[in-house]
Amino acid sequence: MARGKAKDGDGNWKKFIWNSEKKELLGRTGGSWFKILLFYVIFYGCLAGIFIGTIQVMLLTVSEFEPKYQDRVAPPGLTQVPQVQKTEISFTASDPRSYEPYVRNLDNFLRDYSDEQQTENIVFQDCGDTPTEYKERGPYNDGQGQKKVCKFKREWLDNCSGLNDPTYGYKDGKPCILVKLNRIIGFKPQAPANESLPPEIMAKYNPNLIPVHCVAKREEDADKIGTVEYFGMGGYPGFGLQYYPYYGKLLQPRYLQPLVAVQFTNLTYDVEVRVECRAYGQNIVYSDKDRFQGRFDIKFDIKSS
Amino acid sequence: MQDDHRLSTSELEMKYGTSIDKGLSSARAAEILARDGPNALTPPKATPEIVKFLKQMIGGFSILLWIGAGFSWISFGIQLAQGVDSAFDNLYLGVVLALVVILTGIFAYYQEAKSTNIMASFSKMIPQVRATVDNSSLTGESEPQSRSCDFTHENPLETRNIAFYSTTCVEGTATGIVINTGDRTIIGRIASLASGVGNEKTPIAIEIEHFVYLVAGVAISIGVLFFIISVSMRYKILDSIIFLIGIIVANVPEGLLATVTVSLSLTAKRMAKKNCLVKNLEAVETLGSTSIICSDKTGTLTQNRMTVAHLWFDNQIYSADTSEDQTTQPFDQSSPTWTALSKIVTLCNRAEFRPGQENLPIMKRVVVGDASETALLKFSEVILGDVMSIRAQNRKVAEIPFNSTNKFQLSIHETDDPQDKRFLLVMKGAPERILERCSTIMINGKEEPLDSEKAEAFQTAYMELGGMGERVLGFCHLYLPENEFPETFQFDTDSMNFPTSNLCFVGLLSMIDPPRSTVPDAVSKCRSAGIKVIMVTGDHPITAKAIAKSVGIISATSETVEDIAKRLNIPVEQVNRREATAAVVNGMELKDMSSEQLDEILRNHTEIVFARTSPQQKLIIVEGCQRQVRQAWQSVIYVPPALICATSQGSVVAVTGDGVNDSPALKKADIGIAMGIAGSDAAKNAADMVLLDDNFASIVTGVEEGRLIFDNLKKTIAYTLTKNIAELCPFLIYIIASIPMPIGTITILFIDLGTDIIPSVALAYEKAESDIMNRRPRNKRRDRLVNQQLAVYSYLQIGIMQSVGAFVTYFTVYAEQGFLPSTLLGVRVNWENNAINDFEDSYGQQWTHYQRMYLQWTGYTAFFVSITIQQVADLIIRKTRRNSIFRQGLFRNKVIWGTETPELELSCSQVFLSEIFAPTPRFQYWFVAVPFAILIWVYDEIRKLVWALGFPPSSPVVTWIKPQH
Repeated sequence: MARGKAKDGDGNWKKFIWNSEKKELLGRTGGSWFKILLFYVIFYGCLAGIFIGTIQVMLLTVSEFEPKYQDRVAPPGLTQVPQVQKTEISFTASDPRSYEPYVRNLDNFLRDYSDEQQTENIVFQDCGDTPTEYKERGPYNDGQGQKKVCKFKREWLDNCSGLNDPTYGYKDGKPCILVKLNRIIGFKPQAPANESLPPEIMAKYNPNLIPVHCVAKREEDADKIGTVEYFGMGGYPGFGLQYYPYYGKLLQPRYLQPLVAVQFTNLTYDVEVRVECRAYGQNIVYSDKDRFQGRFDIKFDIKSS
Repeated sequence: MQDDHRLSTSELEMKYGTSIDKGLSSARAAEILARDGPNALTPPKATPEIVKFLKQMIGGFSILLWIGAGFSWISFGIQLAQGVDSAFDNLYLGVVLALVVILTGIFAYYQEAKSTNIMASFSKMIPQVRATVDNSSLTGESEPQSRSCDFTHENPLETRNIAFYSTTCVEGTATGIVINTGDRTIIGRIASLASGVGNEKTPIAIEIEHFVYLVAGVAISIGVLFFIISVSMRYKILDSIIFLIGIIVANVPEGLLATVTVSLSLTAKRMAKKNCLVKNLEAVETLGSTSIICSDKTGTLTQNRMTVAHLWFDNQIYSADTSEDQTTQPFDQSSPTWTALSKIVTLCNRAEFRPGQENLPIMKRVVVGDASETALLKFSEVILGDVMSIRAQNRKVAEIPFNSTNKFQLSIHETDDPQDKRFLLVMKGAPERILERCSTIMINGKEEPLDSEKAEAFQTAYMELGGMGERVLGFCHLYLPENEFPETFQFDTDSMNFPTSNLCFVGLLSMIDPPRSTVPDAVSKCRSAGIKVIMVTGDHPITAKAIAKSVGIISATSETVEDIAKRLNIPVEQVNRREATAAVVNGMELKDMSSEQLDEILRNHTEIVFARTSPQQKLIIVEGCQRQVRQAWQSVIYVPPALICATSQGSVVAVTGDGVNDSPALKKADIGIAMGIAGSDAAKNAADMVLLDDNFASIVTGVEEGRLIFDNLKKTIAYTLTKNIAELCPFLIYIIASIPMPIGTITILFIDLGTDIIPSVALAYEKAESDIMNRRPRNKRRDRLVNQQLAVYSYLQIGIMQSVGAFVTYFTVYAEQGFLPSTLLGVRVNWENNAINDFEDSYGQQWTHYQRMYLQWTGYTAFFVSITIQQVADLIIRKTRRNSIFRQGLFRNKVIWGTETPELELSCSQVFLSEIFAPTPRFQYWFVAVPFAILIWVYDEIRKLVWALGFPPSSPVVTWIKPQH
């Protein structure tokens, strides 16, 4: 390469980019470039066709009502509203601007749970105020049209419903969060076995209820967490089984997943308090790798001024 | 030194302050030793091992990978400061990248070191058998040179009154004055000339460099382009940097350079088995691209021993067998003249076999005696059988050995016939001197008077044999009359009391160092392979030309300028030089030539012999050859030399040689080939390749292997480059369409350094597709290892098809888990946000962050598996470049199928192994890409078919599908 390389001057480059003698751009004539372009247009056109065709064929094998596999999505995750970055709720009770995002988030989320949204009787069904059995609604297809969904009354959430206190307790330094179990088509959570439950929720045990319970994440925070109040359907601190199974977006487009509101009425101010909430059920499991599977933890940091 | 040979002894004594009798005083000697150093050559500077090692660490793609590792660590630092959970991923990625560089560097260093180790053990293996035979390892002349006090030549190399360092004295004694020591001697200058000649890069190194530039260029431009795109798409700078790392890693074929090294060393091993020992791994390919071979004559083309080639008796020339393993001689031996001649040949000879070699073939036996006597001894032993007993039966009574004034050798013997009491006088010597002493000539066993007609016949035969470059000896005898020389007669060789004239001329024998029997075939193979073979020798032009003709370097029909002049009977100057295809150039003519004139000779003649050349001239010839535009010698159009330099990098030139004098040329050549048996250590050190059997034919093997490995490396590279696109596309689409990441950086490394390595090495075992020896040598400028067609075909056609196949698998995995393709577009930000744990899929189900990541890793393995499956198809199509795979035979290369199973097994085991990185995909995902693998195969078969149907070469379709990849 050493030999003769020095003689390859810039002239060659310029000539390569545009050769005026042969009317060549980058070593090819216009006609040649056109043919090549045409070749690639056809080539990629065919490939795109094959790609779209195969994807379409693949989609034919997939039902539009339920996914083929659910091994990656189950067992379900447990999440909270308001949704926060780094799972931290931090605000000053006297400063409405500091908790405004949380309130807005809750407002948005609860809009679908308002009474006026649940008036159409074709869609909604009153499933009572006490937890009852699963409500099977037939096969997972639209042979019978859309499936009905159970109503969920917003007033069940009481102090945390936002109906009486539009700040969900934040202005008093008593923040509410909403707890919900991730939707999974066909998933039927099973009520926990008696003996496995923490004593606090044994009192309110119901065979058709998936209870939710929040405790301090760390032992030493146990006294800082204060009183925790739960508001759920008919006053039960959990999810009634009649809301399950879920039939999917197509069959139950207005499905309301059951909620439990948790209000921390006596949190210690000016310290970080870590709280862990769990849903209890025989087929609800927890994982070390996935910290949101069946439980979640959240940090409160309420500043006094 | 230049003038020392002109000075007389006394002047020399004056100049060096010494005396012929006493020498230097010890004090003075010590002083000179202190000034000049010991009388030894300075060993050539060797590159320190650590420098070699570091070069491996930063060479090739290493820089790119170091940059990638650097970026990884930087982003690790930043993310750690920001408290991002996944920060350590980048730390590990950086460590992995650095490990990749270090390990491949160590591997390459080890391979290089291993190839030099072969050399070290080799020099112990071959003993220096010729140590005492030659007195001129310096000039390359095969015959011993006499030395005297006379100033005989202007040139210090030619004059007789200088003896050179490193030469050995064969016989006699002499006293001399040391005029130079160490590096200032002629040999020292040659050695420094050799080390002064820079090491040119080998063609394959240039090709690999070109390939690295190309791939690095693609990697950097795509990386920078997408860095800009991602920044302008408002990605965070840090994210953009991480994308950049991914793009670099995807683009760089990490395992490829190691693969190339392995393929080269496999070929080197194969060549060593065929007697071509390659010292420098990269030189393996060089012979394949060689377009000119400058071959030494003695020992390489010839057998390096004098052998009787022709006989003349009864007015007729007979040819003798000159092959290496002769056991009989086929010419007509019925004439009584032959009986007489054979007796002279047997008796008038002082050479003897070393005892104890009775079981060896005659040609292999060691003889005490000079070259021509040895030839005659072996010749008669082959024909007559036990020469020693014949000599014993014809007792020698007197002898005059050969000397340069007489120019004959004479001996007198009793006859083996007890009835015949006459003495037989036999004589051999320079034919004209012998003829002078004869008055009769034997024809068919009868003595006939030597008239002018018969003398004419002798002259014609003598000229003809001499014209064949052979050394001719005349033989005559005389039966001394019994009455004048009775049984008791005392012969006195000093007073010569016996007749030495009016003898009876019997015949002529001519000898030559004959070509090796394998050479003509090898030369013609070189020719059909488009390689020009040039002979460069220190020998006489006539001998050189004769050998050149007999091995086909000058073909039977071609003529030199002198031949044409002789045929047309016109002066040499009037001959049109263009008509002569052959040329014999004397060293003396060469000395007065400008480099333009040399270029013209090299260009205008297809068949060239350089005779009587010195080491420096050999170097000049090699340089001239390297300037040649390849194939220009074929064209009739005259190309001005200035243009040649401007438009061409010139030819790849191979040089063979054995002497110290050859070492500068060996070093200057693109590939120097030294002789393993006859070669000097200096030549072996300067060479890139050693022929263990000293046989020119082995070079042809080297050419074949070199061409094959070049073809196969193309296949390997095409195979490797293809999947780079399948690794790169995911990143690009991830950035632009914001889909979940289809393949991870570590997974890419798994492919590049895991599953892909063995199949790409296996391609090195692929057999040649067509007769590669009927092809012209590749053009350094045009026939690149990696050219546009190869890159475009791999990147833009097969690579894209592979990506499509892998993406189908990717979308299938996601769709079957609940994310239909339409849902995936644009989800990246939320998908990767670990605060969102109720991410909704196409069915309304909600996913936690970890569940999504787990799905994403499943996608990685599925993507990985798809690439592996399609690489099987890629491997099949890369097996051939032109021929349909059905013609080449799908199962002919056992190695490929042998590795195919391991490849799949390896990818299986890696998939399970990688459980730590990513989960095992479902069994059926192994088959999603199979239709695409078949599509790739069919597409390539169609391309080969189109090629075979012969579209016009100018058609753009062909330029883009033609099998230059």
